[in-house]
Amino acid sequence: MASRIKRTMLSPISLMPEMVGDFITRFGSKKLKEELCGEITDKFLEILLGGMDIAFTLSSGYRKNIKGFEGRYLFRTADNLVSASAAFKDGNMHVHEDSIDDWGARVTFKDAKALRAFLFSQNQDILNSILANEVEVDGNLNYIYKFGFMARDLAKRLGVG
Amino acid sequence: MSQITIKDISLQDYNLTERVKNLKKAYFRAMPEICVERPHWITEFHLKNNLFKKDKITILDKARAYRFALEKRTPVIWHTRSYEKGMKPFDIKDTSLFAGSTTSKFKGVPLYPEFIALALWPELWTISKRKSNPFFLSEEDAKKLNYDIFPHWMENTIQELARKKYHPPEMKVFERLVFFLASKPNCISHTLPDFSKAINKGLRAIIDEAEERKSKTPDQSKIEFYTAISEALEGIIAYSKNLSKKARELADKENDPALKKELLDIAEINSHAPEFPARTFREGLTTVWLCWTAIHLENPNVGLSLGRLDQILYNLYRKDIDNKVITINDAIELISCLWLKIGDHVPAMPDAGEQLFGGTGSNQAITIGGVDKDGRDAVNDLTYVMLRATELMKLRDPNLNARYYSGINSKEYLKRLCEANVNTGATPALHNDKAVIKALTSKGDSLEHARDYGVIGCVEPGSNGRSYGATGAILFNLTSVLELTLFNGRHRHTGMDALISKETGDHNAFKIFDEFKNAFAEQTRWLVEKAANLNNIFGRIHQDFYPTPILSVLFEGPMEKGKDVIQGGALINSSGATIIGLADVADSLSAIQKLVFEEKTVSFRELLDALNKNFEGCEVLQKRLMNPDKTPKYGNEDPAADTNVRWIVELMDRAFGEKENYRGGRYRVGYWTMTNHAGFGRLMKATPNGRKAHENFTSGITPVSAVTPHLTKALNSVAKQPVECLSSGVALNLKYTPEKDNGKMLDNFAASVEGYFDDMDGKRDGGMEIQFNITTHDKFVEAVKNPDAEEYRELLVRVSGYTAYFKDLNPQMQKEIIDRTEYLLSTGKMIPFEPFPLHER
Repeated sequence: MASRIKRTMLSPISLMPEMVGDFITRFGSKKLKEELCGEITDKFLEILLGGMDIAFTLSSGYRKNIKGFEGRYLFRTADNLVSASAAFKDGNMHVHEDSIDDWGARVTFKDAKALRAFLFSQNQDILNSILANEVEVDGNLNYIYKFGFMARDLAKRLGVG
Repeated sequence: MSQITIKDISLQDYNLTERVKNLKKAYFRAMPEICVERPHWITEFHLKNNLFKKDKITILDKARAYRFALEKRTPVIWHTRSYEKGMKPFDIKDTSLFAGSTTSKFKGVPLYPEFIALALWPELWTISKRKSNPFFLSEEDAKKLNYDIFPHWMENTIQELARKKYHPPEMKVFERLVFFLASKPNCISHTLPDFSKAINKGLRAIIDEAEERKSKTPDQSKIEFYTAISEALEGIIAYSKNLSKKARELADKENDPALKKELLDIAEINSHAPEFPARTFREGLTTVWLCWTAIHLENPNVGLSLGRLDQILYNLYRKDIDNKVITINDAIELISCLWLKIGDHVPAMPDAGEQLFGGTGSNQAITIGGVDKDGRDAVNDLTYVMLRATELMKLRDPNLNARYYSGINSKEYLKRLCEANVNTGATPALHNDKAVIKALTSKGDSLEHARDYGVIGCVEPGSNGRSYGATGAILFNLTSVLELTLFNGRHRHTGMDALISKETGDHNAFKIFDEFKNAFAEQTRWLVEKAANLNNIFGRIHQDFYPTPILSVLFEGPMEKGKDVIQGGALINSSGATIIGLADVADSLSAIQKLVFEEKTVSFRELLDALNKNFEGCEVLQKRLMNPDKTPKYGNEDPAADTNVRWIVELMDRAFGEKENYRGGRYRVGYWTMTNHAGFGRLMKATPNGRKAHENFTSGITPVSAVTPHLTKALNSVAKQPVECLSSGVALNLKYTPEKDNGKMLDNFAASVEGYFDDMDGKRDGGMEIQFNITTHDKFVEAVKNPDAEEYRELLVRVSGYTAYFKDLNPQMQKEIIDRTEYLLSTGKMIPFEPFPLHER
């Protein structure tokens, strides 16, 4: 995940045209592309949030998604063995590997595959995953819709959407 | 005295004009396009006026927002371009006789970010290409929604406002989606305004009335209400004037003298209507149309209905015909153009919604025929003109509903309604005036008001412009009640570890059938409580954040009370719950009663095991459960089965009827399921009537498919149910086979309807409603294989309430329609069929 130092170092790239930022993001998100297109691993959530973090740093177009947005997300498995949180503030994304209490939206998912289907599957959307009982959502549903868009927007920028 | 002056009521010599043919062709060619105009202007107004930060949005705030949007919106006279499948643009030769449109697009998808438009957010890049009913969305508009519109509404949608303000525990039950659906996060719900005042007095006179009432009241809330009315109506007038101005501009540039004249006609009509009283039939229709666009600017396009247009426009029609201002041909052309305008929009539906409920239009019901307020025959020439236009157009929207009062309306009229069904394959739906009026008066409506009912959304009756019915407020999955009863408060879909409701006893606890029924009743009351509570919470959020000044103008009551309809301003303030799964649950109760408690041939444990195994290895039991000769089935005049249906409808009526809604009215219950019986069926496990997991439930009040071999018995079982418990409408869906001897078929058809509606001299109430698909099993199967073939592209079907294009329905719903019981009228018997396999799209 992009640390603050990494972000500071990479941030000049975001001043370049959007296409350049997207190109470099694509280059730097190989792992995420693999997770999206191929075999999924237990690291999916971590890699996804990391990929988003990098993309927000590198791509001015992608970063526009979180301009003025303040939201806190908690992602976890039902057994709490996997959990991570993402907070958006001041145009930045902050990813934590642990749980937070003051989330605006919480996504509890069965496994990595279910989370991927929830966020990315072309023939499924957020409601469908809830119907299949593979994902449970608490809090503000609109946050989930926004996150869903940002995830798919990233996939599009990576050329896999 | 009869108002029929036309000689041939079929009007078969009249056909579509070239103008309408061109428009219709373009209509079917065009894919719906998402329009961002409404959300853009509404969001801008909210930002400029700081409305996102307010604890409450007043009716005046809303009225000003709508005036702003109406003044700013693009005045489209004739559309020039749309997109077809594959997102290819094509040119349109639009010469509609009516200017303006619901959105800025030829066939548009209006967005209401106040409700559930944000559910489309994840799909913005893919919605143009999705498999089920794609919507065209340009990249530029997708970006506008993502960056400039949706973010502002994240904390301000109806559902989120309700969650934040009330933290209702019922929300968790609702969000599991398998117990009930509440419509209010999506819309203000099905309802029925009346345009008479707008047509006959004009909007300027209503503004004057509001101003006068304002000047006479010291009550600040009333002053605000009347000011809001004026603001909103000024907006509608401004929109019409803008259309007029635009038409004149286009006329100035037009070289074709015929088109120039048409544009100048539009300019003249729109400079007068709807501001002033309509002088001609066309001006009357223009007033309806412009008020309708304004209503859809204010309210989501879900089940808003237009009422008895053949009644309220008849005088203008008669005058123009008598004065030779128009011919019947002109009238059919005008109505056809209006029907296309009314159908110029499609509700926004996320992909999962498409998969569960796909193919729905906006369910805009229009009502014709029946009796007037004094109980006299109200069928007139315009009734037949509208019927003929509908027959020629075969459109999904508007959804035509015909009233019939046996003994008052003529037999020829009934036969003509049957003929229109044969010719269109699916419309109009037929309503039994006698039974419906009895149902409405049993709930307190006056006789005069009940007689003046119109149909709302799908099939729901409500007094025209008096009943703010919100008839589709709750979609209640009755099969979940059965599930909670069978599994002691738990639900197999949400997991057997979690207690959802309350424990009412496991299978060992029930020694007699009545004990099981008691548990069922207790689970019913529990779920009804949750559904009604949540609906009331959403209703209060509507009151605080979604006042409806435009709708209030078109109801009787708000002007007199100085109160918005959403606050209880209308004369009648009921809410509606519609029940899904009646026949499957009733047959399940009958199976349990007979096999488990009476014959004791199967233990409860064995039955539950079979359900949990989805009848794998229990095929003998499943066959027995499905066999009407061995297990009582509703729809066969079997006393035990029909009694269980009656017990359920009385239970539901009591459970909902005792609940008060947020406007001080009561809940009414109906049995029309739209596509929810397929959607809920997909989620639910096997049931004791022999239905396997994930198979469709049965629609509306219809008996389960393929277990009712005799038409007359099926009709009688339904017709004996008490209408006072069905006051929010029913949909009885039947399939008749087209027959070669059309004359004889129509005789049998009309006789079947008469028989079903018959109250047997008060021995029963008679059936309330019936609707048909007159298409063969084979044709439907072919249509699945070749959805884009010309003959199937416009194949119209009745779902359970509304009409739809067969090709737009999801595979599960297509299967449900194909598998419906099909009767041959000449024999009155069911035609055997093999269940259609569920296919992939």
